[in-house]
Amino acid sequence: MTYNLGISRIDDLIGGIKGGTNIMMIGPPMSGKDDITNIIAYHGLINKNAAVIVSTREPGNNVLDWFESRDLSIPPDHIGIVDCVTRTLGFGAPDTENIKMASSPVDLTGIGVKISQFFERFWMEMQVKETRLCINSLSTILMYSNLQTVFRFLHVFTGRIKAANALGVYVIEDGMHDDKTIVTLKQLFDGMIEIKGDDDGYQMRVAGLSPKPTPWFEYEIDGVNIILRG
Amino acid sequence: MMKTGIPTLDDHLHGGVPQGKSLVYYAHPGVECNVFGMQTVHRAVSEGGHGIYVTSSTDPRMIRDQFKEFGWDAAEYGDRFVIVDGFSGLIGADSPEQYVVSNPDDIESLTQSIKQAMEGAYEPSVIVFESLSTIMDLCGEDETLDAIKEWNKYAMLYDHVVVYNFTAWPYSEDTLAHVKGDICNSVILIGGITEKVIFGQYFGVKKIDWDEITKKCVLFKVLKPGGIRVYLPKILVTGPFDAGKSTFVHALSTRAVSVDRLGTTVALDHGHVDHRGFAADIFGTPGQQRFDPIVKLLSGEAMGIFLILDSANTDDFVRARQMLDITETVGLPVVVVANKQDIAGALTPEEIRKELKMTNDIPVMPAVASSREGVFEAFDVMVERVLEANSR
Repeated sequence: MTYNLGISRIDDLIGGIKGGTNIMMIGPPMSGKDDITNIIAYHGLINKNAAVIVSTREPGNNVLDWFESRDLSIPPDHIGIVDCVTRTLGFGAPDTENIKMASSPVDLTGIGVKISQFFERFWMEMQVKETRLCINSLSTILMYSNLQTVFRFLHVFTGRIKAANALGVYVIEDGMHDDKTIVTLKQLFDGMIEIKGDDDGYQMRVAGLSPKPTPWFEYEIDGVNIILRG
Repeated sequence: MMKTGIPTLDDHLHGGVPQGKSLVYYAHPGVECNVFGMQTVHRAVSEGGHGIYVTSSTDPRMIRDQFKEFGWDAAEYGDRFVIVDGFSGLIGADSPEQYVVSNPDDIESLTQSIKQAMEGAYEPSVIVFESLSTIMDLCGEDETLDAIKEWNKYAMLYDHVVVYNFTAWPYSEDTLAHVKGDICNSVILIGGITEKVIFGQYFGVKKIDWDEITKKCVLFKVLKPGGIRVYLPKILVTGPFDAGKSTFVHALSTRAVSVDRLGTTVALDHGHVDHRGFAADIFGTPGQQRFDPIVKLLSGEAMGIFLILDSANTDDFVRARQMLDITETVGLPVVVVANKQDIAGALTPEEIRKELKMTNDIPVMPAVASSREGVFEAFDVMVERVLEANSR
């Protein structure tokens, strides 16, 4: 079982990502990490994968809108969103087919339960065995819980990703955490999508998933495509 | 005794939790745990008792909404239900609650609010901690363990029952051993059945210090509304052609579907039952001989079998025995449903037992499935038998 990121030249260079891989995506604010995360999920969905997106910054409906507004021909029942935002805003929204509500980003127990429920549904009821889990973002969770707590949570769920031969993508804000935090969390991941740059342009590369890191590529996000330059 | 309100659990606890004692719901990560505490406090308050709910990771308003999702209206509890707000302080939000923890990541601050709430309770109450693991994450493992001892002692003074929801993240072995072992009077283990992913959940008593322990695990499901239901994943409904199997499945189920042709089941009936704290998926087989291979297929992994008979059609009784043999489920609980008791010539359950040469340990239940008469009584007997079989 292998996965791709949906970024063709990088996918060619790393030659497919084996099931059970956990990837940290780290980059500065405003570099398009939300879009990149959704695009990685999208490229799974068009290949009949399922996607579970844990959203700690945007209400679940906004994430769902991202997919719906692009009028993508993807199976809607393959998307599961764990919404950690809506209930902290004081809205008592109930769970829906696509969106399950966690109480807050502090509620790691609840987030874990909702992830497991989506995995159970995709695996056991729908027989979809290729699933992508995207947590966007760990930085918000780290604002509410200490490093050790987040590490314990990730230790369990990166293990579950391995057991299920799924693909995990975990977003983290560059510059928001100290080196110790990043180094500690890195231990849990098999590879990294690194993003650097400024308002003049951003570059990305992938490290840890091939014998040597890919070159840095300037990129531009165009709808559901990431166009690399250089 | 304070009842937990979790189906079958109070029986395993020999009536519930004695006043002044503590209980921990000890859950594996990814398995639903908080609903156990919620159902326990709901049970206490809805029976006229008092409840204190200590929240750590959820806005109190949302707590009340969560209760509502399960069909429990916290507004009806009035002042018999109190929230100790250990969340709002974390995000710097105002709280309308009577008891607010000013510093949720300081165990002393939390303890102070909890003690105030315990003192303020009119009478012995149940105190439920939404998430002990969140408290541990915020305040530290050792500090929390020490505090639990203090809370338990304090609760004992007032005859309160303390209930903790705890998710067993990979804390230190010592911490997990304490939570699972010596720190509370009883431990209920909540786990997941895992094969690549968690696809089933169970609970069982790990420890009680006021009576003998019955070590058995029970599968459960969480329904909204409804809460925790003991879950029987597969009950087979079989019997001869036209005995009323599909009618029985539909009569018993909250929702059901049949694969049939011209009114005759050609593949299966499937129904979901939600009755008195128990949930079950029931599968009805076709009755015609030409579908016998399907009967065998459907019977795999069944936990119990309903054998449906047309009470007036003795000619089919041989076929009924034969169908029971086809299921190849020797040793599983069987409940015979003597259906169509309302038609002329129907044999009584005892007469049917004689005709079938069945021993007394197999219940024969009278029923009229078309009017739902006797179907739930038969289900109750099935549940009893399945639980009995699983405890051996």
